[in-house]
This record gives sequence, C-alpha cells and structure tokens, in this order.
Amino acid sequence: MTEKTGAPQSDDELLDAVAKLWERLDPPPADLADGVLARLAVQDLEYELLTLVESDEALAGVRSATMLRAPDETGTWSLEYLGPGFRVQLRISRRGRQARLDGWVSPPQPMTVMLSSVLRKGGVLEAQVSDSGRFEFPVAPAGACRMTFVTESGGRPQATPPFWI
Amino acid sequence: MSEVPRASAETSPDSPWAVAAAAFTRWRDGDAEGLNDLVRVLSPVLWQVVRATGLDRERAEDVVQTTWIALVDHADSISSPQAIAAWLCTSARREAWRAGRLANRERPVEDEILAHGLPDHDSPEEQVILDDEAALVRECLDRLPERCQKLLRIVAAGPRPNYTDVANTLGMPVGSIGPTRGRCLDKLRHELTLAGGIR
Repeated sequence: MTEKTGAPQSDDELLDAVAKLWERLDPPPADLADGVLARLAVQDLEYELLTLVESDEALAGVRSATMLRAPDETGTWSLEYLGPGFRVQLRISRRGRQARLDGWVSPPQPMTVMLSSVLRKGGVLEAQVSDSGRFEFPVAPAGACRMTFVTESGGRPQATPPFWI
Repeated sequence: MSEVPRASAETSPDSPWAVAAAAFTRWRDGDAEGLNDLVRVLSPVLWQVVRATGLDRERAEDVVQTTWIALVDHADSISSPQAIAAWLCTSARREAWRAGRLANRERPVEDEILAHGLPDHDSPEEQVILDDEAALVRECLDRLPERCQKLLRIVAAGPRPNYTDVANTLGMPVGSIGPTRGRCLDKLRHELTLAGGIR
C-alpha cells in the first residue's frame, strides 16, 4: 500500500482515504445500531401494532399496497390487518389526487378510528365504526398514513404500520 | 437534496449505498427486517457524518438516534431508494449542526475553545494503531491548517455533502466552500507527494 509512485491522487481517492482514516480513528460505540433499534422500538410502543395479514394487488395491477404511490396513480387496493380480537379490512380507492378509504371491522364493535398522515403532523381524521362494522373516510390524505383504533373500553390504542395511500 | 453518492461506490452492488437502497425497498414493501438492516448498514456512516461536525460522542449518539426516528416519520418524502443514504446523512448533519449550536450556548467560552482543539477524553483515537497508509494520511493531514482538516473530514464522511450544509457547519460562506475544498485537497495531495504518496 505504500509503494512510492508520487502520482497525484484524484479528489475522490483523497476523500476516501480521509474517510477511511476517520473510520479507524473514531469508530462508533459498538452498540450504536442496537441503541437506535431500541429507541425505535420504544417509539412504536405508544400503540400496539396491528399485523398486516393480506395485501391484495389483484385490483391494482402491479404494485403492492404498502408501496409508495406516484402522485397521480389511479386504482383500488385492499389491505387486511389482524389485531387482538378483531380483524380490519381496508379498501383504498384512488383517482389522481383524490383518495377514499372504506373499512370493515369484524366482529363489529364500537370503536373510534383515526386516520393520520405520518408526514403532516396534526391532520387527524376521525370516524366511528357502525353497528355493522363499517367505517369510511370519503376524503383520505395522500402519502404515508397510519390508522389507529381506540375501543370504548380504553386500553392501548391499536395502530397499523404506515401504509401508502 | 443535492447529495450524490460517489460514482465509484454507487456502481458496486455491495457498497453501503446499494445495500441501504435494497434494505429500504424491502422495508417500504412491508418487511420490518429491512429497517433493521438499514440501521445496521448506515448507522456507522451517520456516526462519521455527525462526529465530523465536532459534536461530542454522547450527543452524536443521540443525534444518530433522532435521525432514524425522523426517517420513520418521514419515509414517504424520500423520492427513491437510491436517495436514502443522502437523505439520512443530510438530516443527520443538520440535526448535528442544531445540537452543536445548542451545546455551545450551554458551554462557557473557554471550554468551547478547548473542546475544539482537543480530542475527546473518551475518544479512542489516541490508542488506535494505524496501518501504513492510514498513518501516512494522518501525518499529512496534521500538517494542514485546522480549518482544512475539519472541512476535509466533513466532506469525506458519507455521500459527498452539498456545500450549503458544509457552509452551515463551518460558518463559512457557501461560495467559498468549493474553492476552499479544492485548496485543502491540493495541500493534502502536496503533503502526500512529499511524503512519498499513498499506493
């Protein structure tokens, strides 16, 4: 490695050498990544996560419902989540920048459903689950969203992982 | 954001940037393990980016964690999997800059001057044994003005940063970063040539 060519190094080669030196001189704490993962896990404890059990692409064509959408994408996607004691099915219909979300909770039970945009804090939409287990958001935000279910008996809210509308 | 991963590394499928892009795609498609992999690959890179701004080790660790929380909250604003490393490094650098300003406000001036000139007490850098090439680079870097040393460390960490972030971190006008970077690299190149060159 120390062959004396004296040849001028390219900027990128020099910067790579500087980066490599600092990686040796100032390594991160051994548990850096573990600390990050622990902190992320705590962040998620504010609610209990529902499990995605099914995501149906048949109506949509090629893309999965948990993927990032193009701003003007059109189609219908469905998602199904499993929680403790209930199942929830979601159908997202999107036409250009307009989106609509319909949901079914089974077995039906009185709950408040909140739909929030992950990116834009503060904009939370609310709906009630009907006697038949239905709820709807006629105008849903676009982008990454998360849905939270609060039962009347209290307890920790149940939330979906972020999904893309 | 206008960071571009270095061309040489981008083309290699096992570069951290390529591994990170693949892990991000898996996470976005619903695989929680994707996020774990992403954290393991890029946290050491973020560490270098944050430490290059002069933040102490404890605050640096906190900034790295905050950066990941911001990612989870803002995942849908990232335009493509290839942009993930640049997005994280830019966020980390800005967060470090904010944390650094706060820390300086809390710290008496004398401490600040000392802290800039000295390595951290808990930093392992004095005990590290370097291979020949790294030792040579270190020796040559030590001969450069302090400002050059700082700037080169910042520019070298992670995907090449944009000049606005570097300017903010160093308190220099944006327009002077490009020329200063060039001059510092020329000085380093000169020192290395005098010392016999690397490779």
